[in-house]
Amino acid sequence: MPESGRIPVPLRLCRACRRFVRLDDREDCAFCGADLDAADAEHEENVAEMRRAAQALRDALAERG
Amino acid sequence: MDASRADALPVRYAGLDDIVNRVPVSVVWEITLACDLACSHCGSRAGTRRRDELTTAEALDLVEQIAELEARDVGLIGGEAYLRKDWLEIIAAIRAAGMRCDLQTGGRNLTEERVAKAAAAGLCGVGISLDGIGATHDKLRGVLGSYDLALAALRRVRAHGLSAAVNSQINAYTLPQLRELMDVIIDAGATNWQLAITTAMGNAADHPDMLLQPWQMLEVMPLLAELAVEGRERGLFLQPASNIGYYGPYESVIRNVLDPEIYFHGCNAGDTVMGIEADGTIKSCPGLGSAYAGGNVRETRLRDIWEKSEVMAFNRRRTVDDLWGFCRTCYYAETCMAGCTWTSHALMGRAGNNPMCHHRALEMDRQGLRERLVKVKDAPGRSFDHGEFEIVVEPVPGRVADRIVANA
Repeated sequence: MPESGRIPVPLRLCRACRRFVRLDDREDCAFCGADLDAADAEHEENVAEMRRAAQALRDALAERG
Repeated sequence: MDASRADALPVRYAGLDDIVNRVPVSVVWEITLACDLACSHCGSRAGTRRRDELTTAEALDLVEQIAELEARDVGLIGGEAYLRKDWLEIIAAIRAAGMRCDLQTGGRNLTEERVAKAAAAGLCGVGISLDGIGATHDKLRGVLGSYDLALAALRRVRAHGLSAAVNSQINAYTLPQLRELMDVIIDAGATNWQLAITTAMGNAADHPDMLLQPWQMLEVMPLLAELAVEGRERGLFLQPASNIGYYGPYESVIRNVLDPEIYFHGCNAGDTVMGIEADGTIKSCPGLGSAYAGGNVRETRLRDIWEKSEVMAFNRRRTVDDLWGFCRTCYYAETCMAGCTWTSHALMGRAGNNPMCHHRALEMDRQGLRERLVKVKDAPGRSFDHGEFEIVVEPVPGRVADRIVANA
């Protein structure tokens, strides 16, 4: 069994400024100061809204045949 | 990772399992140093074949040894791979061993007959080198008319149903033409565009005027992000090399492989990437010089070199304490480990301090500073050699620096 390669030290994407931050920056982004969890939550909401809109569009197109 | 996403990823994409098991996912094999171009940036200074290139029997045995390590993708390079008489036999053997096989080529003499025979042998894809438009490409590739020949080869590859990719150098001459080049290659049918910053190795070390300056990363990265988004909408997938980065606001856009949270996680040489020279020399990355050679398959089995060579273990031995200059105290030091080893070693004479970095350029710019490379030592003129550069820290023209850093 070969020796393992170097396991990458993980980073987290700040959804506010799109920069990656270290996991030990638990609360605020080191670059833009955004609340990382709040930015994640807002991003999730936006994605859900986009998915709902896309589904509504697909449904409307299906109805028109 | 769910199965459908895993199926959609390029075979060269290395996941955590590959790193843990140290699978050489991508093997880049220079099968000959013979070449029909005279590129002014060529790291290996290709032209004539090496004195002692592997025989056909040795090459076919090496294919089996590569397959034993569970490699997934073998990229044939040169020189110009098609100038080796048994290149089709090697392609067929790689495919028979269950691995993907691609060809990276300048395309000057990639004739209809050669493409047809390579496709019949099982070749999966071809990457054609295109460095700028028309005369720019011809000048960099050292052959008048090579731009038209490369474009014709790209169309030929596409017509045979092979995966058609383009490789481009980003340097002082090509940077202003990248947008126009993207239109050209989309029109010619390319679906992948691999981009790399010209590294100061081999012939490129003799042409410092060609090299980008570190502060130009401030221009390169937003442009690549723009091209990545536009390219994706038009069916072209941008693939930045490991020497492009790192971590600024465009990282997730340019490195996005079906996941915006993918980021550069350090040099992967010797962990999931292997380079092979035409004489059987094994390296952890195709671009690195002889100092990084782990052995030769004429003397040692490939598995033993891959698993036991300490020379090739530099990545997993490297710690933050091995870094120096700006990289030593960088916010991203533990993840990045100074980026591309090839780039930093070729510029600075040793790894661990990489000035070609977007985050670094942004941090400098924030202080009203920028870094400029000045060549202080010529390369001796051998294959995969390098000279040496010094970093000059200076105020951004037209702005007053917060403070002058004595030496980066």
